[in-house]
Amino acid sequence: MDFIKDTLADQFWFSIILSLAIFGGIMTAVAYCILLERKVSAWIQDRYGPNRVGPKGLLQPLADGVKLLFKEDIVPGHIEKTLFILAPFISFVVALIGFAVIPWGGAFRWPWMAEDAAPLYCQVATIDIGLLYILAVASLGVYGVVLGGWASNNKYAFYGGIRAAAQMLSYEIPLAMMVLVGILTTRSLRLEEMVTAQLGVDSAAPMAALFGLNGFAWTLFYHPLAAVILFITALAEANRAPFDLAECEQELIGGFHTEYSGMKWALFFLGEYAHMITSSAFMIAIFFGGYCVPGWTWLNTSDSVLAMLLRGGVFSFKILLFIMAYMVVRWTLPRFRFDQLMQLAWKSLVPIGGALVLLQVWILYKDLPQWVSIVGNVTILAVVALIGVVVQKPITGRQRSLIKKERIVRMREALVQRG
Amino acid sequence: MVNETTQSAAGRAWTETDVVYVDQPELTMSERLYLPQVFGGMKTTLRHMFKMRLRKEKVVQYPEQKRQLRKEIYRGVHRLNRDDQGRVACVACFMCETACPAHCIHIEGVESPWPDREKYPIKFDIDELRCIYCGMCEEACPVDAIELTPEYHLVGSSRDEMIFDKEKLLMVYDRTKDEKPRKNPMITGY
Amino acid sequence: MLSQQLVYWAYGVGGFGALCVYFGLPKEGRPERRGLFVLLLAVTLGGLVLLFDRLLGESANRFVFSILALLGVGGAVRVVTHPRPVYSALYFILVVLSTAALIIYVGAEFLGVALVIVYAGAILVTYVFVIMLSQQSTEATESRFASVLDYDRSAREPVWAVLAGFILMATVAAIIVKRDWSDWDEVSAAAMTEKNTLELGKMLMTEFAISVELAGVLLMVAMIGAIAVAKKRIPHASDAVESPPRGEVGKTVDPF
Repeated sequence: MDFIKDTLADQFWFSIILSLAIFGGIMTAVAYCILLERKVSAWIQDRYGPNRVGPKGLLQPLADGVKLLFKEDIVPGHIEKTLFILAPFISFVVALIGFAVIPWGGAFRWPWMAEDAAPLYCQVATIDIGLLYILAVASLGVYGVVLGGWASNNKYAFYGGIRAAAQMLSYEIPLAMMVLVGILTTRSLRLEEMVTAQLGVDSAAPMAALFGLNGFAWTLFYHPLAAVILFITALAEANRAPFDLAECEQELIGGFHTEYSGMKWALFFLGEYAHMITSSAFMIAIFFGGYCVPGWTWLNTSDSVLAMLLRGGVFSFKILLFIMAYMVVRWTLPRFRFDQLMQLAWKSLVPIGGALVLLQVWILYKDLPQWVSIVGNVTILAVVALIGVVVQKPITGRQRSLIKKERIVRMREALVQRG
Repeated sequence: MVNETTQSAAGRAWTETDVVYVDQPELTMSERLYLPQVFGGMKTTLRHMFKMRLRKEKVVQYPEQKRQLRKEIYRGVHRLNRDDQGRVACVACFMCETACPAHCIHIEGVESPWPDREKYPIKFDIDELRCIYCGMCEEACPVDAIELTPEYHLVGSSRDEMIFDKEKLLMVYDRTKDEKPRKNPMITGY
Repeated sequence: MLSQQLVYWAYGVGGFGALCVYFGLPKEGRPERRGLFVLLLAVTLGGLVLLFDRLLGESANRFVFSILALLGVGGAVRVVTHPRPVYSALYFILVVLSTAALIIYVGAEFLGVALVIVYAGAILVTYVFVIMLSQQSTEATESRFASVLDYDRSAREPVWAVLAGFILMATVAAIIVKRDWSDWDEVSAAAMTEKNTLELGKMLMTEFAISVELAGVLLMVAMIGAIAVAKKRIPHASDAVESPPRGEVGKTVDPF
């Protein structure tokens, strides 16, 4: 009994147990994400969705899994075999190892631990550069798609792979900028410290100072614009609609996974959904307060096991909300054209992102109160809108739609030509 | 100069004023900023997502619920009609086989044992997988022997099973004659 | 005394490595000596293992170091010798990852992860992208353009390339081996402090500020140059103002 207690109280063994639990949890969650996606798409289209297997269709993932396992695994003759087999595993593994640094529940102590003992972290690895680790892992994710597309030796797959590479390279830049804004606001690279910074306990956050309530210092509240941009880039990085040009069922008949079937295809999809969960967790930890609930001081700071479990629940609930948002966006918006995609990244997100980074650096340099950033965000948004009015061109959107002034000029030219 | 293709319906030549240029609408502020429109779209989809009533009204849970069909005009599985004596009404004239655009009907006619007609089909196969359910056979038939029924639960586990022979087509008639009576039973008097 | 011996070890291993790379380099019109290459690679890696064993003695991390280092060296050999560029790029990723792991292992987490982000995540994706654009995955040797497409599969001057590379490597190796490593424990202990990322940042922004700025300016110049080269606009038919003016002529109809 003491042995079990000691093992659980040791961070190393606790991390190993936690990682196994998270692996199981994530795999289940991914399977149910696929069910949820089908359900959400059905609801949005006024249908019921899968409701035959089990009560309300809840056993559908099981049926899907069995189907995919027993499906014929076709390996076409004209492919690059090593890479073809390797690619789905890369995208799956890369999507899973990002979970190592997600701060699920913060610090806590078991009841049998001494009051002054070092608290355990409900997190697989508490490393100094947790955020960079996630970025590094995410940047490797593109290889699965690119290699899968190339190894298939099929033009549609190839286009999918090429598009994925260009898209991910472009959107990594605004993503990194927004992460930088998060780092500069919370002043740490450790994800668990970023979350505790968002509790606003020490800082002079207005709510903490006035009412003694914590949890109101989310980066979201200071940098709403940055949060929106981060969400957009996360959609693009996860290859989700409206940025799913790598798959593109209508024009590329599935894109990079055109030649895949059976379990290898399933691995790509498990990887995609796992990536969705990772990126949501990542955004929540940086911008959306992690596990903290605004105003519930006990939950946010207590080191009891119950509070830790509740915090884990809050974190998971936030992830669920994000995934629902991903899905609603997918079933609402049509896909971008490729030039629009690039335009959005390079001509709007990167400049706005740069402005936001400069704003936050300026606040830190001048040691201004953090609320200045809200004013700054609104100003940047206004400037963007103003530029839109002056330039009179869509940020994204149709090419070459003539504005009224342009039309009149064209008409005059035509009249002059006619004499 | 002015040839036929450049003349308007009124008979005179096209002029510049006849040409209608359709402009793309100018983008409004919120369309240029893109995000407000995204939220507008999401409002619509979310409204549908949380509207259970629409779902209940529109969705047919197929094997349990059946669609309400307009039985007179629905074109489902074929049937071979029987005449008032219970014999097959077909006279093996091959009109339906000729009319069929999908070539899914195959008839073999032999001399009829009955005095009221010369031939009758000894074999009458329809490949239901090939059929496009256009109803041309129905229209071509001089004796209204072949008809399309409102039955649409057409399933089978092999291709052979989906080739309906004479017996099967007559069975379809027996099954559906109450639902959809023969169109003109007395027209030929067979 | 020991270090003098180790220098000869290092040279010996380097020599075998050079031979191994020479026989591994793909060259058109030369018989493929796969067996010899594999044998020499094994000898080189074995020699490296023995070298590491002498060098690291009984220190606790010698297994991890040896495995990662062998992965890195083996991967690097394959980067150079693999006949197909895409695989070369992939082996390069292996090299980057094992190097990053080594760097993290000695306590420089930030450097290691930055290496992965910058090299594996960005630069090599671009490499793979370019390689994929320039050649399809089909075997070009079967086509009649084989000799034309061979430009990036075949080594032009294998002897000189190997010689130059390994003289450089032998120099570096000799310097590393000859260095007095007795103060290593102190240095690494200092580097292993909790906030080494913070220290690195401070150092970059104070001591090496000019170097950082210069590197930034250099990259900026390169980027501007690339844009200037790429910006040449090819005239397209739709750019001409020949097309009739849209709208305002005749009747204009509101589409909605």
